[in-house]
Amino acid sequence: MKKISIYRPTSVDEAIQILSEHGTEAGVYAGGTDLLIRLKNRLKQAPTYLVDIKKIENLRYIKEDEQGGVLIGAATKIAEVANSDLLKQKYPMLVQAANMISSPELRNASTLGGDLLQEVWCQYLRGGYSCWRNGGYLCYGAIGDNSYYHSAMGGRLCYAVYPGDAATALIPYDARARLATPRGVKELSIEQLVPGDLMVDGRIQSHVVRYNEILTEVVLPPPKPGVRASFEKLRPRGVWDFAMASLAMCLQLQGQTIDDARVVFGGISGKPLRETAVENFLKGKTLSPSLKDDAIAVALANAAPLKYNATKIDMAKGLLASGLDKLSATA
Amino acid sequence: MEVIEGILIEPVGCLAEFPSGPFLELAFRLFNRKRKASQSGSRAYWHLLNLVQSAGKNLEESEKKLVETLELEAVAAANVYEDVVPALAELNGMGIKLFIATSLSGAATKCFLERHSLSEFFSGSWSSENSKGVKAAPLEAAIAGASLNPSHVMFLVDTLEGLKIAHTVGVQSILMMNDPDDARRLAMHNPSGGIVSLHELPDFIRLVAAENSTSR
Repeated sequence: MKKISIYRPTSVDEAIQILSEHGTEAGVYAGGTDLLIRLKNRLKQAPTYLVDIKKIENLRYIKEDEQGGVLIGAATKIAEVANSDLLKQKYPMLVQAANMISSPELRNASTLGGDLLQEVWCQYLRGGYSCWRNGGYLCYGAIGDNSYYHSAMGGRLCYAVYPGDAATALIPYDARARLATPRGVKELSIEQLVPGDLMVDGRIQSHVVRYNEILTEVVLPPPKPGVRASFEKLRPRGVWDFAMASLAMCLQLQGQTIDDARVVFGGISGKPLRETAVENFLKGKTLSPSLKDDAIAVALANAAPLKYNATKIDMAKGLLASGLDKLSATA
Repeated sequence: MEVIEGILIEPVGCLAEFPSGPFLELAFRLFNRKRKASQSGSRAYWHLLNLVQSAGKNLEESEKKLVETLELEAVAAANVYEDVVPALAELNGMGIKLFIATSLSGAATKCFLERHSLSEFFSGSWSSENSKGVKAAPLEAAIAGASLNPSHVMFLVDTLEGLKIAHTVGVQSILMMNDPDDARRLAMHNPSGGIVSLHELPDFIRLVAAENSTSR
C-alpha cells in the first residue's frame, strides 16, 4: 500500500479547504470499505491524502424534517439505515435494499455516502490493469470476462457497472443529495449525482462530485400516499455480493390503478438505470399479475450486452416480473 | 499520451465492415494464395497488403486494374458503422484534423468516401496511389503533408499489422475493438489505447486533453 497522510478535520469547511489544497491527490475517508481497498489494490486514482470526516459532527443521523420527509447524514452507517424504525415506517423499500448491501460486518463500517460514491468493482480495475480508471486508455472488461461487473446497456470508454444499491433504491423515492462545496451547498437529484461514466477533474468516475466537494446529506421527500414499493436483487451468493441485476420499483396507486411509477434497474448499466419506458407503460394501468408480460416486452429495449453478459438483461426482466407479482399481491 | 491534434483512419474495419471476398480473390489471383473464407474483411485486406509488400514488385497495369476493380467491388459491399457520421462530425467540431490513410487504391478510396457522403469530414485523403505505397506509406504521407507531430496523432487499427505500422511510424495506435476475441489478443501487443465504438473517440480525446491540463 502506498504511503498516505491522514487529515482529521472537525468541520466540513475545514475538510473542503484541505481537499482544495491537495486537488485530486486527496480523497474523503469515511467508512473506508471502498477507499482502503483501492489503496491496497494500488490503484493510480487512489488518493495520497485522506480526509477523514468521521470526526465531523452532524454528518451521521437519520431524522425527520418539518415537512415529514427524512434527512440522512452521509456518514450514517448502512447498518443504521437498515435498522432504522423511522425509515422502515416511511420508506420500507430503502430499508429492504440496505439489508441486501454487502455483509452485516461491512454494513457496520460502510456509510451511505460511501455506497453512493463508491468506485466500480470491475475485476480488471481492482486487479491493477491499466484501464481507463487506472491511468490507461482501454476497457479490459469490454473484451474480457464481462459476465458480472460490466454493463449490458452500452458504455462510454469504461464498461463497468455502477455497483451501489442505495442509489437504485433512493431514486424511486425522488431522493436528493446535498453537497458542501467551496461555493456553498449544492443540491442534486440522486440521478444527477450518479449519471454514470463521465469525466470529472480529468478522470473517469461514476458520480459528479468534484475533488473539493463533500456529499453531506440525503434528503427524502415525504412519502406519497398509496405507494407500494419493492426491491429485488440477484447476486451470485445470497449475501455479500454485488448485484448481477437489481430492481427498485415504486408504484403510486389509487385503488388498483397505477397513478405514477418509478422503475430503476441496478447492476446492469454504468448508472442506476431509470426505465421510463416501463414507467410510462404502467401509468394508468390496473395493477394485476397480467401486467408483467407486457411490461417485460417494453423494458430495456436499448440493451447492448457484451459478449458474456446478455443474461443480465434476462435477469433484470425476471426481476421486473417478480416485482410486479409481489406488488400485485400486496395491493 | 500527448494532446491529440489529428487522426489517421483506415476505412477498412475502422469505418466500415468490408467483405473479405474481393481481397481473398486478389490474394489468389495475384499471388496464388488459397482463399480462407473465415477471415474478416479487415484481416483479408491486411493479408493482401503483406503479400504486396513482401513481393516487392510493382504491379503491372493489368494487375492494377484488377486490384481497382475488386476493391471497388469491396467498397460497394461495405457497411459503414452507424456511429461513424456523428463521431466524425463531433471530432470536426472539436477541431481535430481527420485524414484517410489507407492502402486502398485512389479510385476505391474516392468511391468509398463519396458513396457514404464522408468526404466533407476529412482534411485529406492518402491512398496507395498518392502516397505511392502501402501500409506505412499513406500514414507517413499524411503526417508529412499536414506537418503533424506523430506523437500527437492517432491511427485507428483493428489488426496486428496496423498496430505494428503505428509503432513504426510513431503514432498513437488506437485499437478498434470490433471483435472481443480478436481485440483481447491484440491488446497484448501494447496498443496506445482502445475503443469499442467510434462514438467514444471524442471523449477519449477530451480525456487526454484534460490529463494534459491537470495531473492525472
